[in-house]
Amino acid sequence: MEIKAHMVSAGKAEGQALVYKGPFSFMGDLDPNTGRIPVPRHLLEGENLANKVFVFTRGKGSSGGDCIAWMAKENGNAPSAIICLESEPVLSGAAITTGIPTVDRPDKDIFEMIHTGDYVKVDATAGIIEIVGK
Amino acid sequence: MRLTDEEKRMLNGEVAPGIQKAMELLVKLGDSFDAEKLVPIAYGHISYDLCPEAFWNLMTEGVSPTPHRVTTHPSSQPGTFKAWGLPIEDHWVEEHERKLKRFKELGWLRTETCAEYLIGIMPKKGDIVPMGGSCMQVANNSLFGARVDRMGVLVSLAAAVSGRCPLMGLLLQENRYASHLVELDDLDVADWTISHYHCLGYYIGDQIPGFKPVAVNGLPPDLSFDFTRALVISMPTSGAVTLAHVVGSTPEAPTLEAALGNGKPEQVVRVGKKEMSETWERLNVWDDDIVEHVSFGCPHATIDEIGRISALLEGKKLKTSLLIGASPSVEALARHQGYAGIIEKAGGHFLPVCPSIGNPFTRRDIAGHKQAKSAATSSARNAHYLATVSGVKVFFGTEEECVEAAITGRWKGEMPKWK
Repeated sequence: MEIKAHMVSAGKAEGQALVYKGPFSFMGDLDPNTGRIPVPRHLLEGENLANKVFVFTRGKGSSGGDCIAWMAKENGNAPSAIICLESEPVLSGAAITTGIPTVDRPDKDIFEMIHTGDYVKVDATAGIIEIVGK
Repeated sequence: MRLTDEEKRMLNGEVAPGIQKAMELLVKLGDSFDAEKLVPIAYGHISYDLCPEAFWNLMTEGVSPTPHRVTTHPSSQPGTFKAWGLPIEDHWVEEHERKLKRFKELGWLRTETCAEYLIGIMPKKGDIVPMGGSCMQVANNSLFGARVDRMGVLVSLAAAVSGRCPLMGLLLQENRYASHLVELDDLDVADWTISHYHCLGYYIGDQIPGFKPVAVNGLPPDLSFDFTRALVISMPTSGAVTLAHVVGSTPEAPTLEAALGNGKPEQVVRVGKKEMSETWERLNVWDDDIVEHVSFGCPHATIDEIGRISALLEGKKLKTSLLIGASPSVEALARHQGYAGIIEKAGGHFLPVCPSIGNPFTRRDIAGHKQAKSAATSSARNAHYLATVSGVKVFFGTEEECVEAAITGRWKGEMPKWK
């Protein structure tokens, strides 16, 4: 199954999907030392983002997000790829500076089609998301 | 993207390796948002402490002192923490010193604050001022009518070294009209404090999708600077709002029509007693009433805020640690005025740190076994990041309730009686 999307940050990556139908900020929502989501009462509290294809709605929060993304990447705790509905400049800048392949504006309902645990390939440069296994 | 000849030389590496890297990043970012060109900036603002050193070195390599002014965000003060006996690792101190040395070589100003408008460094209406710090972005856009798009700290360093930023988003007039409208439903704000405005902003930020400009209607006209500031800076904590018009108070919103650009809002968000009450509750993340730390100054404290805290602390002794985040310049004024002496005598501290994400009392990686496990604050932004970045229990309430907690070590804060 293929979904077309808009390139935010170039590159190709793949991995298990982690799906969150809400907004995300690298600052606060990701512990760069562990890859975990530390937010109390968060739907995904304690889940690990490292090397996942992280699917969410949109970016939010502190502009220090790109610094945390950089630290997470240095520590091997960054998502392997990002798919979101609509990026914004902090998230886009974080993805571009750290080289996380990222797409937004998918042409199909990603929350309908992609579920946590699915194996997903993202070719951000070509703007193609491929769901290869459930 | 269309580049000038000079920008092409910068991008080709003919000026400096750092400028080339900065331009590559700005062009990629601009392209992903269909920016037509880059534009010169009025001044820049960066965070050398927050910036990872590898990225800092990449961006500043070979760069000469910049012709434009560049200032800096709150500093993490690792040397001070070390001197306090906190178990902070040596490499933090060394990295800070290396970056600071380069910062000074570049001729940049060591303002070390997220509220430099309090020390007389502020943009004119229409100035293009790319900068890190979502609270500064929303303040400069909303309170001064300057132009800054939402951007990250790393991107703001690229803009500072190159003196350019992509013409996109909130730099364009057509994107500055509010697409989302907030109406107050039956809320009497007559006895609201700064904390109430923080709470309202936190609710609004959560309700606005993406970083759409928002107009808040229904507040008294000519709202004080401190109230307007508290309202707008809380929005990019729970969400990504980067421009908020407060009708009757901020420069681009003399009227509701002006704020909306004579258009119709895409969405109307209504806020009443229920929403305020739920948000206040959500900002409180605690079980028992033991308070170990109290922090003020998110965003960095004004002299008036420090004056009020000092009046409450006159002749008192603190049970908890207390931190006031303030610029060195505002701290100097507080010292001159006698406020700092009173607060320090009670046991409080002033530091030009970010009390939210760089708080030396609550961050386990700074404080080690001395880490406070609970903290009280009157700022929604501070509450949010203390709970998430430091992972401690958080009490959110008014300034008076927080000072009381600092003196007694117990939380007696109450849900406001919404009228």
